Amino acid sequence: MKVSKDARKLSRSLFRSSFTGGRLDRARVEAVLKVVAARKPRHTLETLKDYERLVRMELARRHALIESATALDPAASESILRDLKSRFGEDITHEIKINPALIGGIRVQLGSDVWDGSINGRLELLRSKL
Amino acid sequence: MSTILQDIESQISALKTTTVQTNTGVVRECGDGVAKIEGLSDVMLNEMIEFPGGLIGLALNLEENEVGCILMGDSTAVKEGDIVKTTGRLLSVPVGKGLLGRVVDVLGQPLDGKGPIPSDILYPVEKIAPSIIKRKGVNQPVQTGIMAIDAMIPIGRGQRELIIGDRATGKTTIAIDTMINQARMNKTFAGQEGFRPIYNIYVAIGQKNSNIARILDVLREAGALEYTIIVAAAASDSATNQYLAPFSGAAMGEWFMDNGMDALIIFDDLSKHAVAYRQVSLVLKRPSGREAYPGDVFYLHSRLLERSARVNEKNGNGSLTALPIVETQAGDVSAYIPTNVISITDGQIYLETDLFYQGVRPAISVGLSVSRVGSAAQIKAIKQVAGKVKGELAQFRELAAFAQFGSDLDAATKARLERGGRIVELFKQRQYNPITVEEQVAVLWAIQNGHMDDVAVDRIKEMQAKLQEFLTTRKRKLLETIRTAGAISKELNDELAATLVEFKSTWK
Repeated sequence: MKVSKDARKLSRSLFRSSFTGGRLDRARVEAVLKVVAARKPRHTLETLKDYERLVRMELARRHALIESATALDPAASESILRDLKSRFGEDITHEIKINPALIGGIRVQLGSDVWDGSINGRLELLRSKL
Repeated sequence: MSTILQDIESQISALKTTTVQTNTGVVRECGDGVAKIEGLSDVMLNEMIEFPGGLIGLALNLEENEVGCILMGDSTAVKEGDIVKTTGRLLSVPVGKGLLGRVVDVLGQPLDGKGPIPSDILYPVEKIAPSIIKRKGVNQPVQTGIMAIDAMIPIGRGQRELIIGDRATGKTTIAIDTMINQARMNKTFAGQEGFRPIYNIYVAIGQKNSNIARILDVLREAGALEYTIIVAAAASDSATNQYLAPFSGAAMGEWFMDNGMDALIIFDDLSKHAVAYRQVSLVLKRPSGREAYPGDVFYLHSRLLERSARVNEKNGNGSLTALPIVETQAGDVSAYIPTNVISITDGQIYLETDLFYQGVRPAISVGLSVSRVGSAAQIKAIKQVAGKVKGELAQFRELAAFAQFGSDLDAATKARLERGGRIVELFKQRQYNPITVEEQVAVLWAIQNGHMDDVAVDRIKEMQAKLQEFLTTRKRKLLETIRTAGAISKELNDELAATLVEFKSTWK
């Protein structure tokens, strides 16, 4: 939907106020939602949708998705997580999924960065090069 | 067959080793040749972004939460949710002599069906122009073969000369004539000591495909195609392709410049280029200014044209001459884009509709056309005979209003009018008919020394044609002397006088 300039400005300032110490704070997000519900500013729907988009993108930035073709050994997934947390910070949320489309190997995505060691990934690379 | 297997095996072994790290994003909006992408945290400005299906985009807008990407090609397959990734590369095109004689698109891919382009060097499409220290003064001529230009508005190697005029005034024709003349000279003087061939690059921006096909035919028939690269971004191409085509052409020209060779690049035309850039900017929601053009439309053309230069021996020892074409509406040279480009280039050739319909073709307005390099780019001989021509034509134009009172004028005014009328007649030239510089010298010498004063104005062209034929068939040595001597000495002067007398005895 088309978000008006005012709604975008408001959602951006609400988003900035949802941070504590550089990280998204759940308590603050809840407080923002309560205030918006109570005050009902102009363009409430647009503002909330844009706010949701910003929060979603921020959460995705700190969310690690570890996919493997078959069930991953817990020790292996632990070591991957430890590596990620030591490199990018302790507050990373994670999700472990089984994705048979990978055929074999592991694919780790954190935000926009993707480390692809799966067979499917290499096949795609081969396909694009040929 | 075995090489294909070897290729596949080497690719597989290369892939076995490591995990691949990429930076990805998700397409959230797509339309009008622009895609808005979320993610892409490591993207850089002007970086190539790879879309599914091999489509390439250019990241032009780096905003707080999204990246605006222009698509180079057919965007119908792109949909919301597609995963795209960065490539870490700037847009580059193949360059080198392998492109000569070929028609390519913005990315250097062939369009003429003659097979892949043999090239292993890539040059970036966007490059910073050579700095002041790397340059050298312009003092070698580009012979266009069009007498009006070579005599009065001479162009030098490394200069930017704008060709500006209304529609259908002969702008592209001047460009094509120049290219044909370069090809002819390349063939005639190939291998001679001290001769540097000029290679042509013709960039067609927003033109009809039929026009491009026609130009291709003309060049092929004149034997000029083997020295020419054609970069085509026709009207049916995306605005992105039309916006980037001149930069690709400039990159191909820079290869010649960096490798001790001279090249000539023609941008046909920059008005359509500005329109394509306006479309791209507006869809990217960049703020618009005068006539809805974005604020940096001047920078668009200045960074393109500054890449045409002459560089010194240490930095390539070559040159890139640019002939940008701009189309005006109703002769208005004070509109936005024309004034921008006029202030960037080193002179302009101004074509007028009135002159065109009066039969003066090329319809060059001598008063408004200028070359800021001027006589530094002329051989001495032409300078000697043509130095006064511009002034005489200017006086003729001033007095032309009195021409109607023929009998009431003094002898000096009448003489100026007579001479001026003959010069105007002499400078008319058929298209695709370039004249060599030595023939130009001889013809201009003839008129400056009064040998045409007794010829009726409507017979001047006939006399010129016969004189040229006489010189090329029976006086080759004289032409050779003019070309090699460079200047007209007293002996050469006398020889020319004798030749003209001999010619006029055979021709009445």
